[in-house]
Amino acid sequence: MSAAPAPPVSEPAWSLSRSAIWLWVTEGIVGTLVYGAIVTVAVLLVPASVGGPVPVLRWLLPVLVGVYAVVAIGIRPWVRYRVHRWEVTAETVHTLTGWLTRTWTLVPVARIQTVDVTRGVLQQLYGLASVAVLTASSQGTVRVPHLEVAVAERVAEDLARRAEQVRDEAT
Amino acid sequence: MTGPGPWPAPTTPVAAPPAPPPPARRTSPLVVLLHTVTFKQARQVVPAAIPVVAAVGIDGPGVVVALVVAVTALSLLFAGLTWWRTTYADTPAAVVVTRGLLARSVRTVPNDRIRGVEVEAPALHRLFGLVRVRIDAAAGVGTDGDEEVVVDGVPRAEGDRLRVSVLTHRRSARPVPPGADPEAPFEEPPEEELARFDPRWLLYAPLVASYLAVPLAAVGALSRLLQELPRDLRPDLDGPELTGGVVAVAVVAGLALLAVGAVLGAAVVNWGFRLVRRGGSLVAVRGLLTRRHTELEVDRVRGGTLAEGLGMRLVRAARVNALVTGLGAANRRGQLFPLGPRPEAVRLLGVLVDDPGPLRPHPPAARRRAVFRAVLSGLVVTAGGAWLSAGTGFWGLLAAGIALTVLGVPLGLGRYAALGHAAGPRSFSVRSGLLVREQAVLQRRAVVGWTVRQTFFQRRAGLATVTACVGAGAGGYAAVDMAAAEVAAFTVAASGPWAAAAGDGAPPAAG
Repeated sequence: MSAAPAPPVSEPAWSLSRSAIWLWVTEGIVGTLVYGAIVTVAVLLVPASVGGPVPVLRWLLPVLVGVYAVVAIGIRPWVRYRVHRWEVTAETVHTLTGWLTRTWTLVPVARIQTVDVTRGVLQQLYGLASVAVLTASSQGTVRVPHLEVAVAERVAEDLARRAEQVRDEAT
Repeated sequence: MTGPGPWPAPTTPVAAPPAPPPPARRTSPLVVLLHTVTFKQARQVVPAAIPVVAAVGIDGPGVVVALVVAVTALSLLFAGLTWWRTTYADTPAAVVVTRGLLARSVRTVPNDRIRGVEVEAPALHRLFGLVRVRIDAAAGVGTDGDEEVVVDGVPRAEGDRLRVSVLTHRRSARPVPPGADPEAPFEEPPEEELARFDPRWLLYAPLVASYLAVPLAAVGALSRLLQELPRDLRPDLDGPELTGGVVAVAVVAGLALLAVGAVLGAAVVNWGFRLVRRGGSLVAVRGLLTRRHTELEVDRVRGGTLAEGLGMRLVRAARVNALVTGLGAANRRGQLFPLGPRPEAVRLLGVLVDDPGPLRPHPPAARRRAVFRAVLSGLVVTAGGAWLSAGTGFWGLLAAGIALTVLGVPLGLGRYAALGHAAGPRSFSVRSGLLVREQAVLQRRAVVGWTVRQTFFQRRAGLATVTACVGAGAGGYAAVDMAAAEVAAFTVAASGPWAAAAGDGAPPAAG
């Protein structure tokens, strides 16, 4: 990547929990195991004598799984951690997510309808939780992934209380 | 899994009933005849009846007559029971509809949730002098979309009374301006006509994909029906000799039929279309066989879209949809201007929402990206074709790839030409789309959030796609590939200073 051009909108300031890196690493390992198992079965069951693209695929697929393992375990978690940012200001909730494709989402506190805290299986392993801030628009949902549980709960509570105070009925 | 239960569910303020509730009313008994004829209720038993019929078998006219009599009697019975068990009442606080043969269901819709009242008169209803009243209500938290309460089959006078009564109650369920009498009967405010149908507009129909689909669907249904007819009932047609002349005539005749079908379909749906503003509502009336009467609250309108299909752009036609909070994009009720000349559509859109000014084109990098994306698949096919022709001498794929690449250029340019955005003092606008070019014009207050997306390549090109999230229509409207440097200024101009999102708070600490 060349020197990153200036971001189109202001960057949120706060990082996720560092445990998020290890959660993403775990996800990468699980994904690699799944793909690896599928490719192993395919290579064992389909003989090279079938012809067509099969001889090529027999070595291409394992290589692809290896590349995936390096990217998903060794690179992506760290890039994601560097990219992901979030911030709650006096008026807005603001996130930046993604790694190759970056998405900023911005929602004013006055338009928040509900705030959800969810904990997936892996998240529970690492003591993490995600906050989802929902608005009247199906596309206007802010998701802050992988915060420490205590932080997530405090943020959700704070947002819900403030949203109730300044709720703008004109959604 | 669920949230911390942030706040108590919003309770609906229901005014204390000042008087004993009005008696429950019944629909007109004539509706029994109507529903007997249309098998409205008896349709549900058809799946159960089929095996019975199959077991008995259809042989001889006696059985057929008995079957017809039985079905009619059954239909009459169901329609009668339904009529007998259905009542409705319009109280000052709510509309209550009670129904159900065995399991009773009581629908109560508080007046302050009622969004509009439609009075419909389908063709058969008109024969009996009846109407159908549709009461639309905003859905509660948690449910999706709209709720609808239908009172089917009341005399026209009663339908109008119900509509006026509901609207009167709805008004008194809201904060009353000082000096106004909340108990004053609902008076129809003066009307202002915004648009009126011109039969010449029907000529646009053959160029609109959705109307062209009408005759095609009819042909499809007809052929399915023919397939399912018993063999001895099927008309025995000899295939005509297929010569060039016959084929040409058939193609021309088919196209002509398609065009006529599209015009007829458009006429059935839109005949006598009229859009008026009556007080705080927009009222649209349309339809040849079924007169549909749609009412939208101006307060809930957040903007509108101007859509022009490829064919419509040739003849400068357009349609307008209103973006109304709580109404999904697929909802036909938002359709304000079904089909007509573009200047008329633009004028109507100006009534819904202020014109934010001329659209600003997107930077040249957006054009490069649009063209590159359009020719990419062609380039891939070309490369594959080159490899193949080098290996085997087969050049068909190579030619197809080159053709695809060349065709991609105008496609990409067309896509780029549609792009644009503008921000005015009270509204903003974004436009995109190749086959259907859609321009959304939205009020500033419509925005409930922003999403800015940059792919790896957009980042390199200094572009970004900005989506305004709206609680109406499709949920979001995007300015595709605008200059990244302009994004912040646009979002602030189109919504408010909060969109700058400058914060200096410290992150919340755990514990």
